Amino acid sequence: MQGNTDGSQVWFDPVGLHVEPGQTIRWINLDPGNSHTATAYHPKNFERPRRIPEGAEPWDSDYLLPNESFSVTLAVEGIYDFYCVPHEHAGMVGRIIVGQPGRSSATSVSAQAAGGEAIPEIALQAFPPIDEIMRQGIVRRT
Amino acid sequence: MLARFTAVALTLALAMPAMAADQVEKAPPTGAYKKVSELVKIPDFLPGLGQLYVDPKTLPAGPFLAYDREGRLVSTVYMLPIEDLSNKDKRFDDLAAPGGKVDHVDVYFNAGHPGVEKPHAHVVLWHVPKADEQRVAAK
Repeated sequence: MQGNTDGSQVWFDPVGLHVEPGQTIRWINLDPGNSHTATAYHPKNFERPRRIPEGAEPWDSDYLLPNESFSVTLAVEGIYDFYCVPHEHAGMVGRIIVGQPGRSSATSVSAQAAGGEAIPEIALQAFPPIDEIMRQGIVRRT
Repeated sequence: MLARFTAVALTLALAMPAMAADQVEKAPPTGAYKKVSELVKIPDFLPGLGQLYVDPKTLPAGPFLAYDREGRLVSTVYMLPIEDLSNKDKRFDDLAAPGGKVDHVDVYFNAGHPGVEKPHAHVVLWHVPKADEQRVAAK
C-alpha cells in the first residue's frame, strides 16, 4: 500500500501475485500520508460483487494507518480480487492467484452483484491479466 | 420614515448579542470544528497538509483548517469531488473562509482518503508564505 506525497496517486505493489494454497499474504501500509484497506470483493464486504473463489472466506483489513499491517492465509485455489475502500475509484485494486485455478475460476469473476455498487471501470482496468500473473509470479506496479 | 426605520434597525442591532467569530488561528479551533483524525481513521498529521479540523456538517467540501506541528493555522482546504465539478447542476457556493489573509493558492488532484473517499480536488488557501509550507512537510 503506497501513495505519493500529495495523495494524487495510490497503489498496491505488487498488484498481482501468485502463491500456493496455505500461504499467508501480508499488506503493510507504507504510505505516510493516508489510510488504506485490503478488502476482498465479496457480498459480505459492503455488498460488493464476489470476485474470490466460491467457499473462500472474505477478508477486510479495515483502515490501516501508516506502518500498520494485516495478514490473511488463503487456502482455497482460485482468483482473489481485492480493493482499497477509500481508493477503489482511483483504481487501487489487486489480484492474487492461489494455486492453479481452472478456467472456470478465471471466468467466474463478475463486475456486478444484485443490489451492490458496480465496480468502477478504472478499477476493472487495473487488475493485472491472469496469464501475466501466472507467467511472472509477481506483477509490480508500473 | 427612513429616519424612523434607521432608528429601529439601530436599536435592534444594539439589542442583539455580539456574534463572536470562531477562533481559528490556533488549534483547536472553536465552534463546530472537529479533528478529522477523530472523525475517521486517518493519520493525525498529513504530510503536505498538516493536522486537519472540519465541521462535519460541511463535508465533503469543508473548509478544512490545517495546522502545523505547533498548532498554528497554515491553510484552509476545500475538497471538491471530481464528479461534482463535472456536474453542470452542482455548485459549491458560499463556502466559509475563516482563515483570513491568503498568501497563495494550490489546486491539485487527490485520489481520496477516509472521509472523502472519491477522487477530488484539493483547493488550498495558504495563509503563510511559500517558504513556510515546510512547516507541514514530512519529517
